[in-house]
Amino acid sequence: MTRILLKNKLDDCIAAWQKAGYSVLAPVQRHDMSSFDEVQKGADMALDLILPERTIKDQFFPQTEPLIKYNISKKEIASETMTPPEKKRVFFGVRPCDASGLAIDDPLFGWDYKDDYWFKRRENSVIVSIACTEADDFCMCTSVKLSPDSTKGSDVMLRPLANSNGWQVEAVSDRGTALLESVSSLLEESSDEAAPVPEVAPKFDVEKVMEWLGDKENFESQFWKDISVRCIGCGSCTFLCPTCHCFDIQDEGDTYQGIRRKNWDSCSFALFTMHTSGHNPRNAQSTRWRQRIMHKFNYYRDKFGVNSCSGCGRCTRQCPVDMGITETLQAITNLPR
Amino acid sequence: MGIQEEYRKEAASLLSSGEVKLVIGFGPGTTADRRRAQFARTAEEAEKLVLDQNCIANLTTYLVAGGLLSDGKKVAIFLKPDAIRSLNILISESQVKPEQVVIFGYAIENGEVKELPGRSIGDFANLGEKLRTATPPPSVQQEAEKLEAMSPAERFEYWQDQFSKCIKCYACRQACPMCYCRRCIVDVNQPQWVSTSSHTLGNFEWNIVRAFHLAGRCAACGACDRACPVNIPLRLINYRMGKEVKEAFDYYAGESSDQKPVLASFNQDDPETFIL
Repeated sequence: MTRILLKNKLDDCIAAWQKAGYSVLAPVQRHDMSSFDEVQKGADMALDLILPERTIKDQFFPQTEPLIKYNISKKEIASETMTPPEKKRVFFGVRPCDASGLAIDDPLFGWDYKDDYWFKRRENSVIVSIACTEADDFCMCTSVKLSPDSTKGSDVMLRPLANSNGWQVEAVSDRGTALLESVSSLLEESSDEAAPVPEVAPKFDVEKVMEWLGDKENFESQFWKDISVRCIGCGSCTFLCPTCHCFDIQDEGDTYQGIRRKNWDSCSFALFTMHTSGHNPRNAQSTRWRQRIMHKFNYYRDKFGVNSCSGCGRCTRQCPVDMGITETLQAITNLPR
Repeated sequence: MGIQEEYRKEAASLLSSGEVKLVIGFGPGTTADRRRAQFARTAEEAEKLVLDQNCIANLTTYLVAGGLLSDGKKVAIFLKPDAIRSLNILISESQVKPEQVVIFGYAIENGEVKELPGRSIGDFANLGEKLRTATPPPSVQQEAEKLEAMSPAERFEYWQDQFSKCIKCYACRQACPMCYCRRCIVDVNQPQWVSTSSHTLGNFEWNIVRAFHLAGRCAACGACDRACPVNIPLRLINYRMGKEVKEAFDYYAGESSDQKPVLASFNQDDPETFIL
């Protein structure tokens, strides 16, 4: 017997969480795009998607975030630090790869400086994931040693029932236990079986990839030029990635008043490394593409002991030129050794 | 022999003889129905090129990237009619020398690939007239009409919803053959003319700047629209701008390679109704 949540109790569940002061966010389909947004009832949710087009990361590290407001008058200089919102949120229907992405980024945002904008949101959020029952040609969680029902980064894991009536419910953190406690009267014991987890065949050998990338001889390899020739240098893979975290600080306004903002940035852009002098140490798309791969599967691992990829496959799924990291990592796997 | 085999063979021979340094064509993609740009530098590579009804990308984007043509050598490229239109615009804007480009023309009609005979841009002179008088895809026209029927407030709300999705990844710009500026206005940061923030205002700024910069220069190939990872219907903006330019100046971008860029030239009888 396991605890289950029936679909017909979902609305009551949402109402209970809302009553307890939570906003409930879930994948929704709005204005021809799927992303995480606030919902009022189960019917608002788009839970059948393999993955929403936008990641859950957006809700913790938004594409633009005000940091400081400043105002300079003849009398004084006034500045106001914009604090991150501390609203309690439940994220319902997160895919394991997106939830893992949050856990992968935690050490980065807490490394030499604890980023309040990230952690205040993290601390006030409960991640309720749903294990996948379907995968597409782009899914590659198993290639990065995760799985369609990995609990990394999740507080509660739901496993869809084979009869589609609801989900098996498992708390995987204290926060998850507490959240389930608040709706315990809506859960029931059942022997209904969970739907099988889909087979996601590994697409590359991450050990081989890491070994090749770790060999400094390969840094200047012709491989990088050949593999990146198709890349048009947009930031779509970066901005749809659940783990990419680079940002730029911009002051908007004039000398006297304005807002300082933290905006997403991408290593795919030439401007990313452009020096004031006009010199650009990454002056070709191949060097920028290399940076993207190296950062994810070498530098990040060196620093934080984990690869900066959760295998969601969005970089390839939504790439305008059908590129993404999968092809590169496959090619590295298959290089003659 | 089918068109794919014919073009493979000819591409291989152009590469073996040294007539062209590169053939830009298509290859198999990640999924069964995806095709991706493939760059053949040897006859052997050319033999693997693919040409079928899924080859929809406008490859001219690669002609103006990374100084490809700066050595004066020739390149062969697979182009469908809207991409040939793009090439005409690039030539008329002095970005590509026509003698450097060998064209493998094709059209996709009713799910079938058809050969467009000719190898140099001059051979496609009749195409412009044909495209100009063709009716735009009914789906785009219908969507555009729906927008036109809205009140200005409704239309503003529509675009606000659409632009609020923009993440400023600039996939639209990077996929577009006409966005060949070495440094785009949004990347000019001393001073920062256009906000890099992707809040609603910043997103409006970017998308409107792009629409204006493409007025009279867009081949309606749909590359930006397909590239957009958040599904902003950029086709509708381009359609409207194309219509404006047609009505105001009787101009159809990319009709021929020797037309003068409409917003970079003038005629004595241009309408001057905007001058107060």
